[in-house]
Amino acid sequence: MFKTIRSSFQEYDIKLLISIIALILIGIITIYATGFDPIEKVNSGLYKKQLLWFILGIICMFAISRVHYRILGDYSLYIYLVVLFFLILTTIFGAKIRNTRAWINFGFFAIQPSEFMKLATILLLSKYLELRQFDIKRLRELFIPFAIVGVPVLLIYMQPDFGTAMIFIPIFFALLFLGGADILQLISILGVATIALFVPMMLTYIEWSGINISGGFFSFLKGNELLYIISGSLLAVSIISFILYFFFNSKVYRAIYIPSFIISAGLFLSVIIQKFLKEYQKRRILVFLNPDLDPYGSGYNVIQSKIAIGSGGIIGKGFLKGSQSQLGFLPEKSTDFIFSVISEEWGFIGAVIVLLLFGYVLYKGFMIALKTQDKFGMLLAGGITCMIFFHVIINIGMALGIMPVTGLPLTFLSYGGSNLIMSLLSIGILISIDSRTR
Amino acid sequence: MQFASVRTKIIEEFRKRLYVIGIIIICMFAIFFLQLINLQIFQGREFSEKSRMNMENNIPLPASRGEIYDRNFSTDKQNIVLATNRPAFNIIVIPAQYKEKNQFYYAIKNICALLQLPYEEILTDLKSTNPYNRYIIQEDVPFDIVVTIATNQDKFPNIMWEDAPVRVYPFNNMFSHVIGYIGSLTKEEYNTYKDVGYKYYQKIGKAGIERQYDSILRGVDGYVRRIVDAKNRTEGEEIGQHPKSGYNIVLTLDYDVQKTAYTALGDNRGSVIVMKPATGEIISIVSKPDYDPNLIISKNNIKIITELNNDKNKPFLNRAIQSRYPPASTFKLVTSIAALEEEKWDPAITRYCPGKYTLKGYVDRDFYCYQAHGSVNLLWAIARSCSVYFYQLGLKLGPTTIFNYAGYLGLAETSGIDIPGEITGFIPSKKWKLKTFGQPWFDGDTVNLSIGQGFILVTPIGMMDFLSAIVNSGVVFKPHCIKEIRSIDNTSVVSVVIPEKLREIPLSPTTLNTIKQGMRMAVVNGTAARLGYLKVQMCGKTGTAQTRSKRQEDVSQHAWFVGFGPYDSHPEKVVAIVVMVEYGIAGAATAVPIAEQVFTTLIKKGYF
Repeated sequence: MFKTIRSSFQEYDIKLLISIIALILIGIITIYATGFDPIEKVNSGLYKKQLLWFILGIICMFAISRVHYRILGDYSLYIYLVVLFFLILTTIFGAKIRNTRAWINFGFFAIQPSEFMKLATILLLSKYLELRQFDIKRLRELFIPFAIVGVPVLLIYMQPDFGTAMIFIPIFFALLFLGGADILQLISILGVATIALFVPMMLTYIEWSGINISGGFFSFLKGNELLYIISGSLLAVSIISFILYFFFNSKVYRAIYIPSFIISAGLFLSVIIQKFLKEYQKRRILVFLNPDLDPYGSGYNVIQSKIAIGSGGIIGKGFLKGSQSQLGFLPEKSTDFIFSVISEEWGFIGAVIVLLLFGYVLYKGFMIALKTQDKFGMLLAGGITCMIFFHVIINIGMALGIMPVTGLPLTFLSYGGSNLIMSLLSIGILISIDSRTR
Repeated sequence: MQFASVRTKIIEEFRKRLYVIGIIIICMFAIFFLQLINLQIFQGREFSEKSRMNMENNIPLPASRGEIYDRNFSTDKQNIVLATNRPAFNIIVIPAQYKEKNQFYYAIKNICALLQLPYEEILTDLKSTNPYNRYIIQEDVPFDIVVTIATNQDKFPNIMWEDAPVRVYPFNNMFSHVIGYIGSLTKEEYNTYKDVGYKYYQKIGKAGIERQYDSILRGVDGYVRRIVDAKNRTEGEEIGQHPKSGYNIVLTLDYDVQKTAYTALGDNRGSVIVMKPATGEIISIVSKPDYDPNLIISKNNIKIITELNNDKNKPFLNRAIQSRYPPASTFKLVTSIAALEEEKWDPAITRYCPGKYTLKGYVDRDFYCYQAHGSVNLLWAIARSCSVYFYQLGLKLGPTTIFNYAGYLGLAETSGIDIPGEITGFIPSKKWKLKTFGQPWFDGDTVNLSIGQGFILVTPIGMMDFLSAIVNSGVVFKPHCIKEIRSIDNTSVVSVVIPEKLREIPLSPTTLNTIKQGMRMAVVNGTAARLGYLKVQMCGKTGTAQTRSKRQEDVSQHAWFVGFGPYDSHPEKVVAIVVMVEYGIAGAATAVPIAEQVFTTLIKKGYF
């Protein structure tokens, strides 16, 4: 019995485990600090809950690491559908907390299905991409992956939880990329998306920053007619050149129909997005570009976060001494801006330690993906690593003022049970892949 | 085998692509690392300062502004205070302290309801200011309002109050133009003065002595360093810096003389200046119409200020230094000085005055005198103000000489008085006339010029300077209103104002004696005969300026009186006066009685 446990422990990468537990403990200490009210001298006690989630999460991690990851692959569709079912339930009936229906209440605790959806989507996508690995270069093979990701993204967007919905997109593209999709196709899709997003942003910016555009080109753009006209004429150009390419098979025509189709589709989508994205969401992205646009609103968060990080200096202000977080100038300090708190209280040294720990976790994930021999394992390990990576860069990037404020937790550190358990489950899967590769 | 190689190829491709992602990860981490270095190491000090500003809600401790006294100040008696302070409160808010917009709107709405202020206007104004700055919602709020706010903090989140003494001018309108008033810094003023230590929430002297000597009066504000959280709850407090009071100022102005001049001017528009030519000390300076500085110092009284600004009578205009008028017959003194100094005219020369003078030319033109004086010499011409005599004198001299003498005597220069906003008089020239009217200078213009009509304009303070030159044998001191600067407890004198020589005009004693004699005769047996009974031997010259509208002959005349006394004593003892009444009936009728009252008071106060 003991021997089994010991031998099974030997299968684990102890350094990886230590890094993760260190990150979680740093998180819990920081949550303790942020829960402390320096004036009333009481603690909100959030850290105790997080401690509970941590223990639960570690148990889940060990449990799932004992399961062969290929079994998870076999059941990936069912896992996906079950989580999707809960996600639908949540989106429709979920408890409304801060205007978002992201939580489903089970009496004594509440879970956030959208967190688990991330993992379920990675599982199913990896499985699908493994199945279709020889055909994936065809454009039509991408429709099903789009559907796998599109449905949950739409549901989460409807909750509405913009940040969580957004995180699916880079994970999706990373998986397609790793899964062997044609790079030209991926670039085309990204091109369309960029144009589709850029045009409404620009229009919002022009409108918001009060540049006078009465009459002329921009108001014409605003009315969408011009967008339709350009989009339509480019579509025509692209169809004609495609037909010419079909008959003469000359690369010149290919060089015309691909970009013109990308721009055409992008512009067409931009009209839809302009109606689809809410004004505050468009503005939020703009405020990221220039926080001074809105020093009261979403810009406030970034400004205060940068003040917190910057004022930490090299060695930090010390535990419980961060004035930005302790005195409440920093918003969402136990979740979205937990990195700012760490940077304020522990300074450059603390921030670099956190970055190094994350770096190590990502490096391990990377190595596991590299060493794995089967396609599903590679994609799963790669997908999980990318998921953690994107959480880290978006969250820390937001705190540092180089990414938009989207409201995304920092894996392992931020307060929140669902995210912590989901992250530990992911690590459990990584361990499962690792132990079966050796 | 074929299958296996495809498989290997796919795995190879996967690994290549994984490396690409690995490189992206490394790049992103490098960027984060650099940004951390940037924020925490390079900009660390700057952000520390910002973080400190966040939590330190420093409460300014206003320095008490110096008081202003009249010249009779002495340390051992109850003094007349012309400007002082009384305790009051300001209600303030710092918009950046609100975490949520709604809470901010809620607080502003409640406070506006409590103070009965227009919510929309306050909100618009607030949005246009820097949210990190202290914004004063209302000044001069009574204590019970402060108590209401303090006891209902849930209704008024982040609304604060502070001690803010209010300036009081006990004699209201009487000293309005000379002492001026204070007010909040405007955005332009802030940009100009922020480098010399002015804070955006402070007050600054806007006019008069308050403005001229603001740096002496204001002192240095101190502050309480208060550590607050985002909800503005106090965590700790300490005194950062004690305020340093401003200095008190003792003026050269005499309350009693000012009061007499102010009362004597009555409801007329105009000004009175009383000065000691030997030093340039202003004893009284009054301008009417006036305003009550107590009403306009508060931000609450925008309506009253707008009304005053739009008043057709321009009450903010200090007519003693900011208005210019034709000098009329008082200018005959300048013409006389020019004639005597140039030795082109013997004072004994007589001319016959039949009541008018006919200028021969292409078309003959008549110039009138207000009465037929018969045969007069220069002295009598001054005393009786005979225009016909001066027409001929002016023609003999020619316009250029007169322009030059008006210039020498400083009529187109500022006096340098320590009240801001002074303007100069205006001396025309032949060139100017050609340029402005497209006509050459005619003899008719010279005739008008010689009696101070036509284009020439002077300010009352400019006339005072000219008068000083006569009294002081050509030496003119800079007029000034402050006598000394004292410490806040009045125990020590910080600085005493030493008279400053403005200009020295070389005038021969003979000329001056003749002029003085003429002016003395005007009092003894001339236009200012009303002053003849005074114990002090007065000299003077009246003037009645005709303004351009000839229709309303009775009202469209400005009354002048320039004079001094005693006649034959050392200049140290002499006090000079300039009275200017807009649309006074005639110099003798309107201006002279004012001078009479002022000198009666001066005699009573023992100036001679």
